[in-house]
Amino acid sequence: MQDKLSKPLELPVFFRYGMAAAFVAAALLLSLVLRVPFANPSWFLFPAAIVASTWFCGRGPGWLAVCVGILAIQYYFIPPFGSFLVRPGDIPYSITFIFCAAAANWLFSWRKQAEDNLREARDELELRVRERTAELKSTNNALLFQMEEQKRTAEALQVTRTELARVVRITTIGELAASIAHEVNQPLAAVVANADACVAWLGLETPNLVEARAAAERSIQGATRASEVITRIRSLINKSSTERVRVQLNRIIEETVALAAGQASRNDVSITLDLVSDLPSVLGDRIQLQQVILNLMMNGIEAMSGVTDRTRELLVRSRLQDACQVMVSIEDTGIGVNAETMARLFEPFFTTRQQGIGMGLPISRSIIEAHGGRLWAESVVNQGTALQFTLPTLEGAAV
Amino acid sequence: MKERVPIVYVIDDEALIREGVQSLIKSVGLSAVTFASASEFMHAERPDVPACLVLDVRMPGQSGLDLQRQLASAGIYIPIIFISGHGDIPMSVRAMKEGALEFLTKPVRGQDLLDAIQKAIARDQELRSERAEYAKMRGRFDSLTPRETEVLNLVVAGLLNKQIADQLGTSELTIKTHRAHVMEKTGADSLAHLVRMAERLRTSQRK
Repeated sequence: MQDKLSKPLELPVFFRYGMAAAFVAAALLLSLVLRVPFANPSWFLFPAAIVASTWFCGRGPGWLAVCVGILAIQYYFIPPFGSFLVRPGDIPYSITFIFCAAAANWLFSWRKQAEDNLREARDELELRVRERTAELKSTNNALLFQMEEQKRTAEALQVTRTELARVVRITTIGELAASIAHEVNQPLAAVVANADACVAWLGLETPNLVEARAAAERSIQGATRASEVITRIRSLINKSSTERVRVQLNRIIEETVALAAGQASRNDVSITLDLVSDLPSVLGDRIQLQQVILNLMMNGIEAMSGVTDRTRELLVRSRLQDACQVMVSIEDTGIGVNAETMARLFEPFFTTRQQGIGMGLPISRSIIEAHGGRLWAESVVNQGTALQFTLPTLEGAAV
Repeated sequence: MKERVPIVYVIDDEALIREGVQSLIKSVGLSAVTFASASEFMHAERPDVPACLVLDVRMPGQSGLDLQRQLASAGIYIPIIFISGHGDIPMSVRAMKEGALEFLTKPVRGQDLLDAIQKAIARDQELRSERAEYAKMRGRFDSLTPRETEVLNLVVAGLLNKQIADQLGTSELTIKTHRAHVMEKTGADSLAHLVRMAERLRTSQRK
């Protein structure tokens, strides 16, 4: 509405002057008509016509209205009527009118000008505001885009980092496995060579029992050596887990869920926690336990990667199993495992995944067992799998 | 030719494996000598009998492949049977390219090892008799006098007695005598035989 009013009259010049003349003519006509019932000469309509001319048509047409109005007053309403002559007694009256007309025109044109300036200023201000708003909007959009980009980059970085960590882990395990393989293979080669020799000595026409016995004894030595290597590796695993402190499993679960959240959301998996609030503490290595829980969660998330007909949900629960044991279960709504796979689930190097190395579950189980607990799986094909473990509570461990 | 009992050299850093392999070899009537490292083997005295080498690839210090190269550059020829903890293809290809006879993976089946050893010793015997024959021939040719060697070279080049006599500035009869000595000393039963032997010596000298 303000916009409409603020628009100046953009009419052609002759039309504006014509309009001013028309205002004055209307005033004259009306005055002449009114003169009949009200004998007194009245000119009050003329200033109105002048003001209207100035206001609507501009300053120039205003002055035209002033001049025409003065002439009309002089001619029709100042005696002697019907002539432009002025009697000396009427001069002040005539001057008053001229002054009034000129003042009205000047005043209103000045006021009009001021209003126009104000309007222009306001228009310009509005225009600038609009421009600045548009600028701000585009800046804001750019910023939003950058933020989005940054988020994507951060996610990509996270994925890369996870992948890198996995590769490093696999490489380390690979090297470790190669050196263990050599350590075990050497005594086994000795066992085979000596057993072969033993058989050969026994197979002679007259068996050489002395040599056969010596070879058999070396074979035994080799086998003992192999088992010693394995014992050494076991003790190495146990040695690295001497860090036993009081830990709150619920806290560890919560921390681990935070770690797995990214992976879960990327796979459209929602994680639900169902933790018993007054779960007793256990004695353990928090990093190792975290690894186990993370590992089980990752297994669950991956088990659901092929699920499309139901929600992918990972339920992490903690329970007090009995007075001296707590239980943690990680349940997925994945494809489940069949009996054949179930039987081999904890076998080292057994994996159903393309990139898996098949060490996650065996390592998890050995960690839990080193903590005096138990780790097992329950599964229903096409419904999901629950990986569960128990750990002795502080009191349970003390018993 | 009198053949002495062949020796199998076994090099492995693992004592139990050495002893097992040695026992296995002895059970088939061969003699086996064991070493714990490549350098021990290089410093040992080796009797001049048919032999082969059972060599572990992965050993502390000098590896089996290093030893293979060292033996080759020292001109010691002995068939090698490699034994490796893991069947690494590039490694076995390298070993075979450099003349290994066999590449077996630990733990080795006894029969496979014995078969490889038999093959290696047979190969060594073959090469040894070739070498012995060659040495004998070399000795016979070395017993020729300078004059006889001159005549030999011209005969082998296809010149007639008369041409040789002209070239050496002597009579055809003298050449005939030299030539008879050459035939007798080298044990050649025909001119063709003589040419073949001379040719063989020349090519192996050029090598």
